[in-house]
Order: sequence, then structure tokens, then C-alpha cells
Amino acid sequence: MTGSRSKSIIIWTFVIASIVILSAPTIVVLGASFTAGNIITFPPEGLSLKWYGTIFGAAGLRQAFLRSLYVATICTAISIPVGTLAAIALTKYKIRFANSIQIYLLLPFTIPLISQGIGMMLFFGEMGLAGQLWPVGVACSVINIPFMIWAVTASASNLNPDLELAAANCGAPPLQTFLYVTLPAVMPGVITGSLLMFILALNEFLVSMLLVDARNVTLPVQIYNNIRSIITPDLAAVSVVFIVSAGIVIALLDRLVGLDIFLKSK
Amino acid sequence: MKPPRSAYPWHWRVLDVLERVVETAWPRRFTKGLPHAMLVPVVLLVAILIAGLVEMLDSSFRVLDTNTFLMSDFYTLDNYRRALTENFFQSVATRSFIASFIVTAITLVVAVPYAYLMVRTQSPALRKFLLVALFFPFFIGEVVRAYGWLIILGNQGLVNEFLGLFGLSSVRLLYNYSAVIFGLVQYMLPFAVLMIAPALTAIPEELEAAANSLGANWIRTFRHVVLPLARPGLVAGGLVVMTLSLTNFAIPAMLGGGSQDFMSNVIYDQFFRTSDQGLGSALSILLVIAGSILVGIIFRLFGTGSLAIKGARK
Repeated sequence: MTGSRSKSIIIWTFVIASIVILSAPTIVVLGASFTAGNIITFPPEGLSLKWYGTIFGAAGLRQAFLRSLYVATICTAISIPVGTLAAIALTKYKIRFANSIQIYLLLPFTIPLISQGIGMMLFFGEMGLAGQLWPVGVACSVINIPFMIWAVTASASNLNPDLELAAANCGAPPLQTFLYVTLPAVMPGVITGSLLMFILALNEFLVSMLLVDARNVTLPVQIYNNIRSIITPDLAAVSVVFIVSAGIVIALLDRLVGLDIFLKSK
Repeated sequence: MKPPRSAYPWHWRVLDVLERVVETAWPRRFTKGLPHAMLVPVVLLVAILIAGLVEMLDSSFRVLDTNTFLMSDFYTLDNYRRALTENFFQSVATRSFIASFIVTAITLVVAVPYAYLMVRTQSPALRKFLLVALFFPFFIGEVVRAYGWLIILGNQGLVNEFLGLFGLSSVRLLYNYSAVIFGLVQYMLPFAVLMIAPALTAIPEELEAAANSLGANWIRTFRHVVLPLARPGLVAGGLVVMTLSLTNFAIPAMLGGGSQDFMSNVIYDQFFRTSDQGLGSALSILLVIAGSILVGIIFRLFGTGSLAIKGARK
């Protein structure tokens, strides 16, 4: 960054304020989960791990977390093949009606989430699948699939088509070309996309809440339902699950593809 | 002579078999259809969404029979008449729209410096720190974030406890319009920065230096060079922020405490509190239309920005 002192001061003021506002909830939830008191106070009443003990004994919360993991796994398992194939098709080939198809594929981003969720609730209800868990995974895949397509498209557009021709020229049949040339080239995009799909499905709240029934809730819905006017630290300890998951996904993203991928201009 | 085993390893044989399977399943004369075949799964996946919307459209034309609690067999526009004329829905719609405009304005103003520093800084460590600070809230979900704000801003929250230490009386920080706006800005900031940053990356730093050497101070450089060139990112970011905050559910529900409902909350209540599926569907369809009109107007005024997936193609 170049420029005058006034520029640095103004930009840093905004950035520091942003960092504080962005991080405050995470840090406070983390801190609150270690409190020794029965309610969250300032200054804290001392450190303890007792709330982690409490939630570890709570079967309801544990099951809700497992349900969230199940939903996120289904969502990712669907999104990887579906999104990767679509992104490769859209980048590599000239497709008739490509524009209309792209507008169609952006619908999950342009239609309000509540309308999508309620629509799918009615649809799955009509199919006789109401209250089951796996349709939630499918729904999470539907609402976030543009992320997957976007991530893979970004890698696929860097793939030189001559490489595939060269492979074919050396005698590689189509499947081999796909497995050994195309797929490795788009791998960073597939990794980025699947990590995004997983974490977004893990903490998806609204669509989950619309599709599950009361005995079958996922963890974000469970936390939402448990919030009362008095704030107790046990929910903070549960929320740490999400903070840890976010940390793992960020570390994986950084390790496997590098976070800088999000700064690249298309 | 039999070739030694290692010359033709087993996984080549597996591949050969697979190639033959592919060849029979998809003969080469169909090659032209391949790209379209690759799109079939995603088209079907998104079709679930369309099916849901059709289902919703159907029930939006049916009214609830208050005697039997069943949906009517005949079609009527009654739900739409109620949705468009009743004062309650109008005030909720106004509240959501105004909030989404305010949130978009604030978020863009805050997001530009953040994205700028992140893109322009010489220090990889600072860049990584800024990215991590951005991804953490993005990845922990809105419920946990709103819960964090409840701890901080609640009536017995940290801020009020802190004020209490100095003998100050507690302030009501939650369950009002500004709390919802604040929560939404925090929620939207990562989206906005991530949409704006690639647009800033595309601007060569030399352009700024050139403007500088021609005598423009940094404010003029920003106004006349950086911001106009970053416009695709600003439009895309602004649009995402505006539509997501217009239709948000969790933040108004949790930080507004029922007094600051947005359209999504009202639609939810129609389904799960009053069980009026017809009216809820009609409101939901109207929200889809309102959102699309908003997107259309912005595309008209500012162009599509970098939003389209095709932006990633050459």
C-alpha cells in the first residue's frame, strides 16, 4: 500500500473497527464457555471446564451434532460430482443456451432463502419425505451449489485445453485423460468448493429449521431453540463446536489450496 | 513370451476395463452430447427448487377454510389481496427494505477499506490474518454469531455489566432496529469483502501510482481510479448484501426479539404459528418477485457486475 499518512490512518481505523466487530462474538462465546459461574458476567467468575462436562453428558446435543455432521456429509457427497461436472462442462465446452443455464444455476442465490426453504418443505412433504434428515442434506446442496460451481470454474478456466489434447495424442483414452489431466487440474477448486459446502451445511440454520421436525433437529436449530432470555454458558460451550469446525476448515483451506485463492481476480 | 507382470500393472488393467465400460455406456458418436449430459445432474438438483416454488405458487392461490383447517379446492387471489393491502405486511416490508438499504450502504463503506488493505498490503502475514478474521465469522454460522451478540449486548450482557462497574445504569442495546442493522452489517461484511477483493486485485497498483504522480491526492485517486475500476465487485457485493439482508431470518429473530420482524419472519409465522399456508405462500411468492425486481433494477442501473458465473470464463 502506498500513500500518505492520512490514508493509512483512515484505512487502519476502518480495518481495526471491522476486525473487532467481526471477532467479538467468536471471542466472547469462546470466553463464556470457560466461565465457572452459572451465568455469564463481566468480569468472569473464574475459569472452569464444567460446562464442557455438562454438554458432554447431554445426549440431545450430541445427537443434534451428529445429525448436523450427517447432513453436511450428504450435502458434500452430492455437491462434489454434481458441481464439478457442471463447472467443467460450462468452462470447457461451448454450450447452447449457456447464458440461460447460468441464470438458472444462479437461482439458488437470487431466490430468497426462506422461499427456497418453504418451497422445498412443501415439495419434500408432497414426496412423503417430511421430517427425514437426508433431504436436508439435499436441500443444503441445492441452496449452496453455486459456491461449488464457482470454485471449480475458477480452477477449470486455468486448465489449458491443449494439455488434454496432448494426453489424447499420446494415446490416453477419454477416461484416462479425465482422471489424470482434467481432474488433477481442477482439484484445488474441488477442495475449496467441498470445504465450503461442508461447513455451510454444517451450520445451515433456516433451511434446516424448515425441513426437520421437532424430534430430529440439527445443532444450529437446537441452539436457536435453547436460547432463552437468561444467557447460560452451556450454549456457549456447544457453540465452540462450530468455532472449532470453522478453525479446522480454515486451516485445511490454507494448507491445501491457500486462502489467497479468494483474492484472485477472475 | 509372456511379458513380465510389472510391465502391465494391475491398475492399468482396471483402467482398461473402465475405459471399455465408458465406451459402451457412452459411444464416441455421442461425444457432442457430453457437455449437456454433464449438466443434467445440476439441472435436476436445482429443479427441486423449481418444483418447490411451483408447489408454493399453487398453494398461494388457495385460502384456508377456517372451519376445516384445510386448503380450498378453488383458486382465488384473496391471499394476494390481503398480503398487499394489510397494513401490517406493508410496514414489515418497508422495515425490511429500509434496513437492507442501510445495511448495504454501511457494509460497502466498511468493506472497501478492509478489502483494499488485504489486497494491497506487502505483508503476507497481515493478509492471512485479515483473511482468517473474515472467514471465522463466515464459517461459524449466524446463530452462533447472534448468540455472541446476545452475550455482549444483552440486558445482563457484558457491556451493561461493564457499565455497572462504574455505577452507570444499564442501557437497552438489544431488541431494537439498530441492533438488527448492526447484526446484519456484521453478518454481511465477509460476503462484501470477498466479492470486492478480487475486483481490487484486478486493478494494477501502477495505476494508483500514476494518478499520484500526476498530482492526485489519495482521496481523488480513490474516487476517480480505484472505485470506478472496482465497480463490478462493488455492484456484485452490494447486490448480495442487499438481497441477503432483505430476506434474512435469524438476525431479526434473535437480535430483534420479535419486535423487529422482517419479511422472512412474517412468512415463517404464517406457516408455523397461524398455519395459514396460503397466505404464507403468497407472501413468499411476493418476496421472490420483490427480490427479482430489486436485482433487475440494479442490473439495469449498474450492470451485472462480477456476479454472473460466466464472469469466470474467458
